[in-house]
Amino acid sequence: MGMTHHERVMTALHRGQPDQVPWMENDIEEALQVQIMGGADFTPPELAEKLGLSALGAHFPTGAASDGQGLVTKETYKESYYNPKKVTFDFFPPWIAKMGADPETGRTYIEKGLLVSEESLKLFDEFLPDPHHPGRYDKVNAWLKQYKGDYAVFARIRLGAASTIESMGLDEFSYAQVDNPELIHKIHRRFSEWSAEVVDHLNEMDIDFFWANDDLAGNQGPFMSPKVFRELMLPNMKLVADRIKKPWIFHSDGNLFPIMEDLLSLGMTAVHPIQPAAMDIGKMKREYGHRVAIVGNIDLDYTLPLGSVEEVDAEVKNRIMTAGPGGGYIISSANSLTDYCKLENVLAMSEAIKKYGKYPLEG
Amino acid sequence: MANLLEEIQESVINGQAPKVKELTQKALDQGMEPQTILNEGLIPAMSTVGEKFQKGEFFISEMMISARAMYAGLNLVKPLLLSQKTESKGKAVVATVQGDLHDIGKNLVCMMLEGGGYEVVDLGVNVTPDKFVEAVKEHQPNFVMMSALLTTTMSSMEKTIKALMENGLREQVKIGVGGAPVTQRYADSIGADFYAADAGEAVSKANLLLNLAAK
Repeated sequence: MGMTHHERVMTALHRGQPDQVPWMENDIEEALQVQIMGGADFTPPELAEKLGLSALGAHFPTGAASDGQGLVTKETYKESYYNPKKVTFDFFPPWIAKMGADPETGRTYIEKGLLVSEESLKLFDEFLPDPHHPGRYDKVNAWLKQYKGDYAVFARIRLGAASTIESMGLDEFSYAQVDNPELIHKIHRRFSEWSAEVVDHLNEMDIDFFWANDDLAGNQGPFMSPKVFRELMLPNMKLVADRIKKPWIFHSDGNLFPIMEDLLSLGMTAVHPIQPAAMDIGKMKREYGHRVAIVGNIDLDYTLPLGSVEEVDAEVKNRIMTAGPGGGYIISSANSLTDYCKLENVLAMSEAIKKYGKYPLEG
Repeated sequence: MANLLEEIQESVINGQAPKVKELTQKALDQGMEPQTILNEGLIPAMSTVGEKFQKGEFFISEMMISARAMYAGLNLVKPLLLSQKTESKGKAVVATVQGDLHDIGKNLVCMMLEGGGYEVVDLGVNVTPDKFVEAVKEHQPNFVMMSALLTTTMSSMEKTIKALMENGLREQVKIGVGGAPVTQRYADSIGADFYAADAGEAVSKANLLLNLAAK
């Protein structure tokens, strides 16, 4: 008898060796989900079954069509947060920013951060939902009962770093490091306190692990110096991390090596996605694989959107052989499965994981 | 006087905008040529900032803070240079390509180019091949530099190069590309003249091409 999906994920998260390398995704854009399933009328476990995913989370088109991240106006955000119309396991605070939408694709983006002064801090009350409102927790509890089965289920949260950077804007965030560091601290603290309250509720639910999305790095390194990270970001991130009572994955794109020791002090179970353009997964495995599990890193810059089926197959094999030995490895794309990934490549990834991922691994 | 230039450099690298402004004003008051302040104060400072970034000693925030300090000096010097009709080192049209709305990388390239002594025409984000063509006709730049963050929008770079070719403008400009998913291999495949991994490298590669052209 093989392991269940749940056992497979939890074993790998705790750096053990499961019966096969599990696959999970931080996010699968809904347009791609619809392509994979041939329509929007499916349940989350049906999608997982089709691909061979071992964990469920993020959001699904099941229910009603609306946007994924909830990047909506402050007037509508709270209501859509309390009463999500479609299946979601996300517990993100809103960006406190002026949002734009590309008229052609509908893709939303941050036009301008709005937290730029002491005065602007009052926007928190307008934007942030009540972290104790029962609405979303009740809904997610019902979905857990309905869909969980033998899958591992994760809730996505933020520790506050990405919320701070995006809601200030990278330029204002940078200038404030010199002009008014206290403002960064105050903003981060508000976001982190909100997330900590949310985590208190989620700890009591039948969720298996958290996935904390806090993008704070580019290809070369973190956006801010390690010193600024240590002094202004880390203590606030820790406020949330210390409240987490389940395994958790830290996510940030980019090169995290310059701040890896500081990051690891947060006590996460795993790090994701080890973006190939920025980090070498072999180095990650060698230097940190005994301290933290690794989730990643099939390339999203070239392989999944532009590469061939054969290239996907070869990359999956390479990653499993590099990061898989001894366990502690969960395979995933190097961010999320976006709607610009080729469908055939996503299906090839699924096949290759089944082909190469069984322990003991065969080189 | 030399000390003043060193102090300007140091203050730019340390990101002290008010101090750069004060020192630049002091240099001008003492009769220093604006061109000297630019060439021997502000430009070498930003070049050091770019090198530090490439070496992993500086991070994006620090680069932005230094760039702000550089502008504090440049904004005083620029009107004087314009009134003296001083030629800039070269001109670059810079934009994030069609379909892509990300501007951080593009803005950094603009800042570093200006800090490198170039005249910059920033076309903004989501810029169509046609707009690039119009801009090249209007501004007659030495360089066209394109940025993209998404794999899907990288293809707009190729379309832009094709549009420049179709309009007979390709040979007038050197084309540089960059952005997270862009690689040297991709730059070669679409016929760009150069790829830069970061904003500092965009300037050093532009300098190199200008020097080659001058030889």
